[in-house]
Amino acid sequence: MNGEEVSRIHGKHALEKPVLIVAWEEDASNLGVRTVDYLIEGLGCREFGEILPEGFFPMAGVNVVDDVAQFPESKFYISDERNLVIFRSNIPRTGWHGFLNAVLDVAGHDCNVSEIYTLGAMISSAAHTAPRLLISIVNQKEMKEELEPFNIMTGTDYENPPGQKPTLSSYLVWLARQRNIRGVNLWVPVPYYLVSLDDPRACKRLVYFFNSKFDLGVDFSALDAQISQQNSSIADLFQRSPEIESLVRRLETGEGLDGGESEKLAREMAEALKKG
Amino acid sequence: MSIRYIKEPQLVDPVMIASWPGIGNVGVIAVDTLRRSTRAEQLAYIEPQEFFYPNKVIIRGGELVEMGFPSSEFYFHRNDRHDLIFFAGEEQPAEGGGVYAAGSRAYAMANLVLDAAQKFGCRRIYTSGAAVAPIHHTARSRVWAVPNSADLLHEFKQYDNTIMMSDIEGRGGEGNITGLNGLLLGIARRRGVDAVCVMGEIPVYLQGFPFPYPKGSKSVLEVLAAALGMVIDMDIINQLAEQSENELSSLYEKLPHEIKDQLDRLKKATVAAPESSEAITDEDKKKILDDIDKFFKREGGGEQQ
Repeated sequence: MNGEEVSRIHGKHALEKPVLIVAWEEDASNLGVRTVDYLIEGLGCREFGEILPEGFFPMAGVNVVDDVAQFPESKFYISDERNLVIFRSNIPRTGWHGFLNAVLDVAGHDCNVSEIYTLGAMISSAAHTAPRLLISIVNQKEMKEELEPFNIMTGTDYENPPGQKPTLSSYLVWLARQRNIRGVNLWVPVPYYLVSLDDPRACKRLVYFFNSKFDLGVDFSALDAQISQQNSSIADLFQRSPEIESLVRRLETGEGLDGGESEKLAREMAEALKKG
Repeated sequence: MSIRYIKEPQLVDPVMIASWPGIGNVGVIAVDTLRRSTRAEQLAYIEPQEFFYPNKVIIRGGELVEMGFPSSEFYFHRNDRHDLIFFAGEEQPAEGGGVYAAGSRAYAMANLVLDAAQKFGCRRIYTSGAAVAPIHHTARSRVWAVPNSADLLHEFKQYDNTIMMSDIEGRGGEGNITGLNGLLLGIARRRGVDAVCVMGEIPVYLQGFPFPYPKGSKSVLEVLAAALGMVIDMDIINQLAEQSENELSSLYEKLPHEIKDQLDRLKKATVAAPESSEAITDEDKKKILDDIDKFFKREGGGEQQ
């Protein structure tokens, strides 16, 4: 970046070794941003700063989504009262090392964060009725013990296959470790047929964890209402289509579906939930 | 963005030979074969983080224990006539999801490679890649040589099985070399360093496939041996080329007749000047390539198009 301004901070804060939660756009079920949006709104977080887009996103026009022109955003929000920092961002297209270091500069120098939690969804073949698991990957071994009381799977083994790149969240906590900042990747498996839709259960699993661990005092009523609404829409779909219900029941018993069945389930669920 | 030097040897009149992955990995295989046969020692490496996204992650028992990046390493070998410096890049620093180097990071990396070359007194640099050509895989690959100075043309015209851009029908001596193979030539020219890109031919119908093409690499090695005035052990590359041709021939036999008939016509094709291309006309060549395109998915460009 040749010494140019990379980040911009608005105003001061009263944070003391806060926790940073990181969410990326373009995640399955938009899980990360749905979760932090719920926290930002519910906890009354205020915008605190941003990473500037130049050098990290192609400056070659704008994308239009739902009739509206979009532009990449990478913003920090804080709650002084809850001692919380949230970073909500589009995924940079280039200059990842510089971008993530800019995030860590704000986290470390400007906010003195003690821990970083990244949020993400994994695609699962389980039914939507199954309890949402929470999986953690830590950058410092001792964090595992601290997470275990929260019913988190902490023993994952994984090595990326050739041609498949590590996630940006992994890269962030790897760089955080080099700065001696504790970091955790949190992953929630979401049913494959909800990947292009909301999964409020998965969202609740994450919010519940943060609320339990950091005593945030979150009001879950809006999330519970979203879950009820989704349940109701799916129940209506089952009434209209016993075939779809039987596909979901098969997933509940661990039975796999063939390609055509999987596609049909995803398509009909999308239609039903978008209407609902 | 920096180079980490592991050793600081005094080298005598060194020449640098650089390669990055590309079509058929023609350049990488040629340079890697030479580097291994000389048992070159590691000299330095370019710190990867500013250039590349990680390519490896290992998680054990829920802990992120390792993250790896594409390597960009220098090696050296003391030799009779010229000492040698090798540069082997595992990936090109691309932008916007491309495979070939482009943008400010590519420029920065090419400059770092040249910094290392000049630090040890290199007066000539070779880069190596593939030239996509309408040839058959049973044919001997020729080597297209592109120097960054007209003063070098005479020398390279003398080497066996080597052609210049102007030897290629219809090009009038023009073309382009994508990625770092080309960028390094240009930046070397700016710095007054001689550089030559030597590209082994790869059949046009293999350019979009993830197969290595050691036959093209073998031709490149032969030209490098002549240019460097050294004897290179060709046993390994000969084995690789033979194995590759056998595998391709086996695959070829399984192709439908209508495709094979079209590809067989490339046995008579040539990209050299008109006086040597009696067997097939321009129109024939165009039709063959059009037909091939219908059957094989063509992905991206090449180092040379």
